[in-house]
Amino acid sequence: MNAPSDAPVLTAHRAGLAGCRGCGRVWPETETICSRCGGALVSPDRRCLNAVWAWLAAGFVFYIPANLFPMLKTSTFGGLRGNSEATILGGVVELMHYGNYGVAAIVFLASIVVPIGKFIAISWLALVAGRPATVRAAHKRLHLYEVVEFIGRWSMIDVFIVAILSALVQLGFVASIHPGPAAVSFALSVAFTMLSAQSFDPRLIWRGLPLRSRKDHE
Amino acid sequence: MTDRPSPERSDTPLKPAEPARKPAARAVRAGLPLIWLVPIAALIVTLGVGWNMIASRGTLISVAFKDATGITPGETALKFREITVGKVESVRFTEDLQQVEVNMRVDKDLAPYIDKDAQFWIVRPQVSAQGISRLDTVLTGSFVEGYWDDKVDGPQTRFQGLDKPPLTSFGEQGTWIVLAAERSRGMTEGAPVLFRGLPVGRMQNLRLSENDEGVLTDVFIAAPYDQLLTTNTVFWDTSGFSVSLGAQGLSLNVNSLASVLQGGAEFATLTSGGAPVEDGHVFSLQPDRGAAEANLFADESKALRLTMLVDESVRGLETGADVQFMGLTVGRVTSLAARVVRGADGQDHVEQEVTLAVTPERMGLSGEATPEEALDFIAGQVRAGLRARIASAGFFGTSLQVELVDLPGAEPAELDRTAKPYPVIPSVPGDISDFSETAQGFLARVGNLPIEEALKSVTDMMNSVTAIASSEDTRAIPGALRGTLEDAQAAAGEIRQVTTELRESGAVGQLRRMVDEAAAAAEAVKLAAADVPAMVDQIDAAAVKIEAVDYAAIGAEAEGILKDVRALLGTEDAEQLPKNLSETLKSASGLLNDLRDGNAAGSLNNALASASTAAQDVSDAAKRLPQLSARLEALAARADAVIAAYGDRSSFNTETINLMREMRRAANAFGSLARTIERNPQAFILGR
Repeated sequence: MNAPSDAPVLTAHRAGLAGCRGCGRVWPETETICSRCGGALVSPDRRCLNAVWAWLAAGFVFYIPANLFPMLKTSTFGGLRGNSEATILGGVVELMHYGNYGVAAIVFLASIVVPIGKFIAISWLALVAGRPATVRAAHKRLHLYEVVEFIGRWSMIDVFIVAILSALVQLGFVASIHPGPAAVSFALSVAFTMLSAQSFDPRLIWRGLPLRSRKDHE
Repeated sequence: MTDRPSPERSDTPLKPAEPARKPAARAVRAGLPLIWLVPIAALIVTLGVGWNMIASRGTLISVAFKDATGITPGETALKFREITVGKVESVRFTEDLQQVEVNMRVDKDLAPYIDKDAQFWIVRPQVSAQGISRLDTVLTGSFVEGYWDDKVDGPQTRFQGLDKPPLTSFGEQGTWIVLAAERSRGMTEGAPVLFRGLPVGRMQNLRLSENDEGVLTDVFIAAPYDQLLTTNTVFWDTSGFSVSLGAQGLSLNVNSLASVLQGGAEFATLTSGGAPVEDGHVFSLQPDRGAAEANLFADESKALRLTMLVDESVRGLETGADVQFMGLTVGRVTSLAARVVRGADGQDHVEQEVTLAVTPERMGLSGEATPEEALDFIAGQVRAGLRARIASAGFFGTSLQVELVDLPGAEPAELDRTAKPYPVIPSVPGDISDFSETAQGFLARVGNLPIEEALKSVTDMMNSVTAIASSEDTRAIPGALRGTLEDAQAAAGEIRQVTTELRESGAVGQLRRMVDEAAAAAEAVKLAAADVPAMVDQIDAAAVKIEAVDYAAIGAEAEGILKDVRALLGTEDAEQLPKNLSETLKSASGLLNDLRDGNAAGSLNNALASASTAAQDVSDAAKRLPQLSARLEALAARADAVIAAYGDRSSFNTETINLMREMRRAANAFGSLARTIERNPQAFILGR
């Protein structure tokens, strides 16, 4: 973004326009339906942050048991040799113990760092939405939002691992792997955080930009 | 993306057509939007799940073990009847570091049953004489097994684990008894307890008795079989094998290989009427069945105690020795004591007091007989001649036993029922064949055997035999004999030949003819005396012819034979030949002597001399010619007889054949003797 931070920015909102979230076309605020893509036109509203917070809270709630409960239930020799249950962090430690540092890093990133980063990023975005910011800061927020939205789906990698392992390692008596309660929790947590990120209206980022005109008005 | 209103940037700031200012009150009015139900629901679900997890976690109990072999926290299971009911959560040391405390999470619904009678042990693979057990734990790893009953009796969370699995578990019905023995022989942990060879229980908890007097072991007899136990039951050791040398001779008793390896005990209820046993009843483990049976008699309260007084040595009589009645064991000796008794002569002397425990049932009395009745019976028997005596028992008579024998001829005696402590049964001197005496006598007899003389004789004999056998002469015997016989045969042949020659040459005929001629000559002499000188010449020639027959050679031959025989007989070795041989030889010698002295040649010579004389006499006086002729005839007959004496069936031949037979028999006898000695040297000592 080459716009200077202190340059006056005219947003669609200030121009009395509402952008379509589906196709990006701006319409006068009186319009309620985008004639191009048929999507409903909603002007940015801080109330949508409610949904962000709500999804985020739900995601966070599910993230706790996802880390406390076992992710994988491994039973060897029909459970005679022992059933081992691994939580996410336990799995990471175990992978490191076996020397699979790469896999451990991936799992750790996908299952711990990314979700937690997402929580922090979304809550920060929701917190600062509508607050005064420079254009540069607004661009940064937008960038962060894009990253969060992009990366959110990758958090499902852990769930996929569990799903694939459960499907593959069904060797009957010898060994079998079943998803634990944490898998569901984690999947829900990821889904909720994705919904949370989707509920966030990035147009709110631009709401707090300094406006010369406002100063002029006052 | 927001539209960038860059075209308008240079223009005057755009004024929003209609600022979309929504009053804050709208948001407030909306209250909490429905979306917030999602996190609330999530929270409720999560809390619910969490609560469920925590609530169903079960109760934590801790069991102290000596060690935690094979226990992995988080993996090792707690099993009850082979169903996993819990899991080991953590393992730590007790405060004194002497034990390991295993904390286990037990299923909630089972936790109330885990009370003070719960038992825990670690199940591991075990290899023992009983076999290999719990091999599955090699694969699955050890686990903690617990057992508790179905009574809820004040839950408890701290337990002391067992060192090893209990042999009987899971609340099996049965009876616990205790076996006591002096030594742990046959008692091993887990050894089977058999009934008629069928394992019905196991030993466990082998331990020293509290006062250190013996060994105790708990035995659990499983349910249907514990009905077999009564207070009359006897237990005996079945481990290993036993070799016993008893009154019944040698007895070898080998049980199954398993019992040889692991020991074991067997029980039997030999008599009826015992009371059922309670848990913890102590039985004594007897070394073998015989002892168990004997012990049964001794243990019986109905056993009748009798005393017998013995004034002879009871060395060899032991406590526990049998009391025999008509060949049946009816009791045993329970004690031996000496006591001083003042005899009839006023002298104190020591008597052995032997206490017998006799089972009246074994003597044929009914089981209900009272001791009084039994004593009455015995008293009656005593009056009829029943006496107690010490008798030897066993293979060599080394051990003694007490016999109750019926001696109708015994001096009358009574059962002394007033005697203390027990009635005294009259006794008679024992029938002890003292083994030591017997053995001594036997040895003495063996010692008295003239073994040395026998050996000396045998040695001498052997020496002689060897000398005979090895001497050239003996070896030459057959040859010499053959030579002798050949010579004799040759001699006989020669003699026969001579005779034949004589016959063939017509000596006799010639003589007859000569005589005839002489007669004719005499006639002629009678007719004309002129021919007499010619006749005399003829007679001379005849005499010369007769003399030409080599009688000397015959004599020399015979003499040679005799010399040989005498040389043979002259050898010392030959002297030791059986006498008849010697005699035979002697008779042969005598025969030959006779032959030599037989005047055969001499008489011939004499005859011829006489003939010569006769011829000369003829020349002197012809009238004596008939006498001459008669004499010549007689001479010829004699010569015939002599010659016949050497004929085929002559006594000489017979004698010689007999001699040969004797020799052969003697040689055979020696040969067989030598073989016998070679084969069976000790036969010399034993004489056969």
